[in-house]
Amino acid sequence: MTPDEPADEGLDTAMDPAAALELLTSEQNRMQRRMAAGLPVILGAWGIAWSVGFTMLWLIDGLAPGFRMPLPIAVVTFIVLMAGAVVVSAVAGARMGRGIRAGAAAAWTGSVFGLTWPVGFAAIFVLGSALLSAGMSREVANIYYPTASVMFVGIMYFLAGGIWQNWGSIVMGGWIVLVACIAPFFGYPTHYLVFAVAGGGVFLVATVLTAIWAYGRRDSGTGRR
Amino acid sequence: MTDLDPVIHAQGRLRITAALATLDPDESISFPRLQELLGMTAGNLSTHLRKLEDAGYVDVAKSFKGRTPVTYLSLTRAGRRAFEDYTETLRSFLGGVS
Repeated sequence: MTPDEPADEGLDTAMDPAAALELLTSEQNRMQRRMAAGLPVILGAWGIAWSVGFTMLWLIDGLAPGFRMPLPIAVVTFIVLMAGAVVVSAVAGARMGRGIRAGAAAAWTGSVFGLTWPVGFAAIFVLGSALLSAGMSREVANIYYPTASVMFVGIMYFLAGGIWQNWGSIVMGGWIVLVACIAPFFGYPTHYLVFAVAGGGVFLVATVLTAIWAYGRRDSGTGRR
Repeated sequence: MTDLDPVIHAQGRLRITAALATLDPDESISFPRLQELLGMTAGNLSTHLRKLEDAGYVDVAKSFKGRTPVTYLSLTRAGRRAFEDYTETLRSFLGGVS
């Protein structure tokens, strides 16, 4: 044995098939969990942004006349929370992906998917402006902007589940689209509360589930969860 | 047990191979990140990687990030195949005799 030979080399031959399979599955399980360690952070940031942010918008008129949240405070809080979640996502995403070099096809898919976000939101904004100039009332605009945005987010999550083969993302995306379809029927301002509870809620549930999976007790490595 | 690939059937190399197999076929991982994920010493990891590279199972690609050299690692097609065969052999040992 040369000096730089690993110390465990001697034990290696003694490893029986059951132990080897156990080691193999637990190693793969551990690797996948550690690679996804930033996921609960990202989902949690969006859960807080949606729950608190949409609740703030609801509070502008939701409890009137008993209580009215000043409009600037509500809007600024909403924007700061959303911007904060974007920053958290970018940082946590970069941390998760550090040291990983994607193949050309995967890099292309990721870039185009990433670019779809600003393109989609810009299109929603421009369409809203067009509708306003065509006579859309402020009341309807209050419903149009958040609903179109939420629906777009849901479609993107659904699509992400298809691209990266993740059922959790598909279920979440489907749920968010459903929330966007139902919320407008509640009218202003209750639709904001629906987005806060049903929309923010699904992010918070996903945060808990992914946190349990990623940080949970390391089990015997049977490969389940 | 003679059928088990001796290149993979060693604790350190099995861990490395299993970890690399979780990446997509055209993905690769930097040496420091893999070292961090596996919790191995750099020397231990290099030694095992050399054996896997000699067997043609691991591709070691040197590149530059700015001016710093970075080594990226991935399973070769033969390595992925060997790992699948190895896993299948293990399963047949454990469940095959009926």
